[in-house]
Amino acid sequence: MSNAMHTTAPDTVRRGGSVVAEGRFKRLWAANSAGYLFLLPWLIGFLGLTLGPALVSLYLSFTDFDMIRSPEWVGAANYVRITTADPKFAAAMKVTLTYVVLSVPFKLIFALLVAMALNKGVRGLTVYRAVFYLPSLLGGSVAIAVLWRQLFARDGLVNAALSQIGIEGPSWISHPSYSIYTLVALSVWQFGSPMIIFLAGLRQIPTDMYEAASLDGASKFRQFYKITLPLLTPVIFFNAVVQTIDAFKAFTPAFIISGGTGGPINSTLFYTLYLYQEAFGNFRMGYASALAWILVLIIAVFTAFSFLSSRYWVHYDD
Amino acid sequence: MTFSVNRRHFMAGGAALLSMSALGSRAFAEDARLRLLWWGSQPRADRTNKVSELYKAKNSGTSITGEFLGWGDYWPRLATQVAGRNAPDVIQMDYRYIVEYARRGALAPLESYMPGKLSLGDFDPAQIEGGSVDGHFYGVSLGANSASTVLNTTAFEEAGIPLPTRTTTWDELGKIGAEISKAGKRKGFFGFADGSGNEPLFENYLRQRGKALYTADSKIAFGADDAAEWLDMWSKFREAGACVPPDVQALYKDTIDTAPLTLGKAAVDYAHSNQFVGFQAVVKDKLTLTNYPLIKADSKGGHYRKPSMFFSVSAQSKALDQAVDYVNFFVTNPDAAVALDVERGIPESKAMRDVVAAKLDATGKIPLEYVAGLGDLAGKLPPPPPSGAGEGQTVLRTAAEQVGFGQLTPADGGKQIVDEITRLLARG
Amino acid sequence: MTNGITAPVSAPPSDITKRSRPASIVVHTLLILASLLMLYPLLWMVSASVRPENEIFSSTSLIPSSIDFSSYVRGWGGLDITFGRFFWNSLVISVLTVIGNVVACSLAAYAFARLRFAGRNFWFAIMLGTLMIPYHVTLIPQYVLFLNLGWVNTILPLVVPKFLASDAFFIFLMVQFFRGIPRELDEAAMMDGCSAWRIYWKIMLPLSLPVLATAAIFSFIWTWDDFFGPLIYLNDMNTYTIQLGLRTFVDSTSASDWGGLFAMSTLTLVPVFLFFLFFQRLLIDGIATTGMKR
Repeated sequence: MSNAMHTTAPDTVRRGGSVVAEGRFKRLWAANSAGYLFLLPWLIGFLGLTLGPALVSLYLSFTDFDMIRSPEWVGAANYVRITTADPKFAAAMKVTLTYVVLSVPFKLIFALLVAMALNKGVRGLTVYRAVFYLPSLLGGSVAIAVLWRQLFARDGLVNAALSQIGIEGPSWISHPSYSIYTLVALSVWQFGSPMIIFLAGLRQIPTDMYEAASLDGASKFRQFYKITLPLLTPVIFFNAVVQTIDAFKAFTPAFIISGGTGGPINSTLFYTLYLYQEAFGNFRMGYASALAWILVLIIAVFTAFSFLSSRYWVHYDD
Repeated sequence: MTFSVNRRHFMAGGAALLSMSALGSRAFAEDARLRLLWWGSQPRADRTNKVSELYKAKNSGTSITGEFLGWGDYWPRLATQVAGRNAPDVIQMDYRYIVEYARRGALAPLESYMPGKLSLGDFDPAQIEGGSVDGHFYGVSLGANSASTVLNTTAFEEAGIPLPTRTTTWDELGKIGAEISKAGKRKGFFGFADGSGNEPLFENYLRQRGKALYTADSKIAFGADDAAEWLDMWSKFREAGACVPPDVQALYKDTIDTAPLTLGKAAVDYAHSNQFVGFQAVVKDKLTLTNYPLIKADSKGGHYRKPSMFFSVSAQSKALDQAVDYVNFFVTNPDAAVALDVERGIPESKAMRDVVAAKLDATGKIPLEYVAGLGDLAGKLPPPPPSGAGEGQTVLRTAAEQVGFGQLTPADGGKQIVDEITRLLARG
Repeated sequence: MTNGITAPVSAPPSDITKRSRPASIVVHTLLILASLLMLYPLLWMVSASVRPENEIFSSTSLIPSSIDFSSYVRGWGGLDITFGRFFWNSLVISVLTVIGNVVACSLAAYAFARLRFAGRNFWFAIMLGTLMIPYHVTLIPQYVLFLNLGWVNTILPLVVPKFLASDAFFIFLMVQFFRGIPRELDEAAMMDGCSAWRIYWKIMLPLSLPVLATAAIFSFIWTWDDFFGPLIYLNDMNTYTIQLGLRTFVDSTSASDWGGLFAMSTLTLVPVFLFFLFFQRLLIDGIATTGMKR
């Protein structure tokens, strides 16, 4: 992709060896300059503001660092402890994996279904879209904690509704066996973000494709299967990857609902909450850094796998 | 290829330049500027700012910037600022954290300022001790409080049951609790909150038995059988329906608004005496305070008067003298005492106490009278907790929850507590 | 389909409408029910903001026993600094963030999606990598970095990174959308002699209004709701954002102003909601056909 302001005729033959280099240089510049120029802001940001701190944090993961005194090198001791002698790590991993596996699929399915329902141009589309996005606006506000308790405590509204059909529910939000599900519910309830993205993606599919298909007699279901789904795969892929990464990194829901405790009995101890406790509660920043890099590793493996598999099902137009 | 590499080098170099740009270019002019950081909400901020105004009036040329946050946000902000060598001059400190910060050299020792610049002469000597770590004095107590039991007098009246008294024992409380639950005057209402995971309550129980949580040389000071008996006592309360069930107790997140008493689930709960005003603000019924239950009718020394919070001075402060002067003003100036009232606790200085006592309203008087009236229910202050004590609190709560939800027997729970605390103390 | 044909040909259309009406009723019912679920928390919050404080935690009904707007008054002016100041601070930071994100991320996304250059896949992987790092951990090193730059206690640490495309989420999002725009358009433009910049500016951006609007909306809302960044970098209470201001209402160890908190929380939804409503038009009016009628 050259910057074709003028045709670059091979003018390397003019003056011997140096011109070969010069011409090559010009071509490399021409070939790469556009890309790097566009990338410049991000590159500056990454190298200046992200890379340094990330490397420091990697270094810290090999130290004992209480944030007040200087870091003390301990080699791989943190990593060893995490992988062999830390029951809270295992608990946090279990809780986080449960959260990821449950919340992401449900969230995406709801988001897609609602986006498709709204995309049809139902009456009151704008209102519905705003209403469905509302939960995401309430985000991490302190009010959510109070609210979720009102809903899911033993005498809360969910149980009141369940008792109408004869089920007597436990205290969902404060029982170690069920508390994680209330967090899954919170995540799924906030499906507004992926929904909006699906909507934008659906909007980008040319309507004349559907018209042509209808003319050919294709049913709605077939249209969905043959047109919508394939053309939507880049967006589905995006949402799936990003929501999964977010779910692994989730912090605020567990923080506000459990009051930072991860309880009861570590049943809501999200991985990053554990990290936060170690860093700011127990002054073990080095250990927390090691925890963080293990998380990065896990997420990286998952993401790499997703990208590799995406060749088989994601359909780009280019 | 040379071009691309050059470009990358340039970027890297530029970034490095950027990062290293001012390794020491910070030149804050702090001769007459103090930064103050505390936790609390608006009422406390109003009072604190008033004191700062009073101080500024007497010391023209000083500028004081006050910052405050809620408890949960306070500690990450402080930790980050200390780590970044950007700590405020005057820092509000808590008993749990003062040890951590002091031992790591983040706080300035203040004993050299006494008695000249820090006139704490009429302070309760135990409170000076309470602010000392490893022989140095780091925290000036801003108020005394003690652990206490909060009683919902309206609920007791409704059920027709007399309130617990100074000499109520745990057995008696158990019976009272069961009766309240049985009286069934309110839906889902029980006698008392489940305090099995409540560290001050457990500590009080240990102290009455002549034990403690930790020794002065950072070892565990109780045994598995103490913990097992404690958990067993609570199991029996649960079975009898005297206390709230575990899933209601699990709603408690160490905040006033999640306590079973506030949520309308129990008539009795446990709190620090200076939280009383906060409780009364969110509960419709009338409340009062009493001491923790006794193991035997003549038990002594379970309680202790502890500093509710301190002001410490940052070791990194560039205005040490000024900061100490401010702190001294805060706790010894009568106008300041009136502005502060008992919102942070009962003033330590006897002179200030007298000034304040006259102006309290009925709700404010209750904690004051409670702490003043402890008598021989209060014993010696325990030694400063070892590093890692905060985790010990979590160990206790988790084990208590596990016993409550039937995942562990009390005996195993006791053993788990002792094992885990020993392990985390060894970790250091 | 021509006109003037008799019944047999026109039967299928009316058949279709008959089939879709019950379906659309079902859809509408479900949508309405779902909407109530979404709305409930807002209603609860509004109710909590007007009811007496000691009812907030004990009562589960939505109807307050008495209505009283003092929480709004108290919340707005009660702090030393009126809430209006916090609103303004949040607004400034959020708007700057939106601009920074949309501009910088679209530039980077265009490079990744459309331009070929040495090391593209490498940098793309790095960009994704930045998505994976939990922020609590780079927090302290970044804080020290910004401290050395003298940026602490200003909004610079919160805003400048946005102009440097620090939000990899948006880069990735835009890449996916850009890749969905047919390359033929680019190629046609190039044959007409357009530079990469012109293609970006004249073709890519106009066709990407849905994703740009999405990015704007998300940027705004996430910045509006962010509290950890301001917590760490904004010391001076005059510079506090809304979320930080809200959190000073609540202190778990002493008396909190719950009524004020809920009142102000309700108010803070208003600008976000307006922003959303305004920008979501672009999501509707965005290109339904990508000019592919060829």
